Amino acid sequence: MNLESILIPTRVAIPGTMVSVVFSECIRANIPGIPFCDAEGRITGRITLKNILKTSCLPEYMVELANVLGNQLSCMEDVEAKAKQLMHNPVDPYVQGPHVSLASESLPVKALALMEQNDTSYSFVVDADRYRGVITIQGLARMLASFDDTHVDL
Amino acid sequence: MIMLGVLNQEAAISGIDFNTLGLLAGMMVVVAITRRSGVFQYVAVWSAKKVQARPWGILLMLSVVTALFSALLDNVTTVLLIAPVTLLICNELKTSPYPFLFAEIFSSNIGGTATLIGDPPNIMIGSAVGLSFNDFLLNLAPVTPLIMLVTLAIIYVVWGRHLQASDETRHRIMQFREKEAITDVRLLKQSLLVLALVITGFVLAEHLHLEPATIAMFGAALLLLLSNLKNKAEDESENVHKTFGDVEWITIFFFIGLFIIVKGIEEAGVLRILADRVMGFTGGDISVTAMAILWVSAIASALVDNIPFVATMIPLIKSMAPGFGGAEAIMPLWWSLALGACLGGNGSLVGASANLIVAGLAERAGHRINFLKFMTLAFPMMLLTIVIASVYVYLRYLY
Repeated sequence: MNLESILIPTRVAIPGTMVSVVFSECIRANIPGIPFCDAEGRITGRITLKNILKTSCLPEYMVELANVLGNQLSCMEDVEAKAKQLMHNPVDPYVQGPHVSLASESLPVKALALMEQNDTSYSFVVDADRYRGVITIQGLARMLASFDDTHVDL
Repeated sequence: MIMLGVLNQEAAISGIDFNTLGLLAGMMVVVAITRRSGVFQYVAVWSAKKVQARPWGILLMLSVVTALFSALLDNVTTVLLIAPVTLLICNELKTSPYPFLFAEIFSSNIGGTATLIGDPPNIMIGSAVGLSFNDFLLNLAPVTPLIMLVTLAIIYVVWGRHLQASDETRHRIMQFREKEAITDVRLLKQSLLVLALVITGFVLAEHLHLEPATIAMFGAALLLLLSNLKNKAEDESENVHKTFGDVEWITIFFFIGLFIIVKGIEEAGVLRILADRVMGFTGGDISVTAMAILWVSAIASALVDNIPFVATMIPLIKSMAPGFGGAEAIMPLWWSLALGACLGGNGSLVGASANLIVAGLAERAGHRINFLKFMTLAFPMMLLTIVIASVYVYLRYLY
């Protein structure tokens, strides 16, 4: 039993990739983020939806005061125009450090342990320096659920 | 100091003021638990809505709230709680947060001057000289409302009268849900009860024959116990770890190192020589010495951290006592040092840790506070507060 069956192949971001491309890929594959690679194709970091949204839409003080926010906020003015502008930005300013990764031959329990250790719900899969895709906690759950005869896909 | 042979380990440890450390650590624990209840954010947002979100009213209310919180909590915690509320409100009002943050920096340092626990220099002076919470309340608190009033009057003339906001933006503030800031009502009640007990303990400390550190530590232990009463074992452990994680250990260890260095300087006789020089310079006149301490402390505290400055000044002033006729005769010098060190912090952005915290929060929100621009107004305003403090010290203790 290895991670091949739950592997989600994805594109990677490179310098100059637009935010809209990362959004499309993450929404398509239902994953939180994708790797960021340099010109030689080496993974040098990661791009996540959470970090793009946090950095571009959420001032620090708003997080602190999340509970008291009302139903009218100035940041929601012209949200359409702001969203369009964000989508056309390159992802480079949103790159974070490299994410947890493991080989496709690894045991699912190792994947779970690594995710827990790094407080995340996904991991990149890399075989011999070649990026293969992403595995998620949902994939691991699906793998376990498949052993149960009573499991029903909703 | 030990490695250089100035002190041995026993002497180094004897130089550490555990009363200061206990009071600091105890209050840090109490505040760390209390802030989780959301009460401070509730008060800040409530006060902004109380004045119908009028900009000058908000500035006034947040300044007063900052001063009151600073008198009871440490200044850094206070601005960490108030500045985010200010940035959010100003963003919604579409007004510059600079006048608000400027006023809050001043208010935190002025409010902190008023009590034993308001500012670390006061904790250090109180502990070293054996001054109680009431001593600070009776001797320093009376002058702080006047200093606050003058400061706010200047801020009104410079910015306050020009502050404006549309009905629409004010309506956004009125939509804030301050009650939702209270995340744990049970914890809120427990925290307020313990905070009230601790303050009452400080007021009655002399009658109870307890040191402030004992009271703060007892309050911290009691609140830790109460806040964990109905928790499961693993939650208890996590809660305790989280609380102790919120204690500023860097500050505690900074104080330990500082006390040892000052002890070494004292043992080496450097402070005795300095004290003699000061006595020679002031001609042994208590009034001149008090004014010199007040002004030098203020200017030094505006430019460098006031904590090491006060740590050095304490043994220096102590060693002047015989020359002035005993410990009672030099009381005006202690009040001068406290006023100078606390109010001097307003003189520049580096004058107090709270100032730097506000500047950092503002910068991360896209509102950079320029060092020179701040100092251009802050330094003369600080000098004015020192003039008021000088008149107060002179009329009350020296006239």
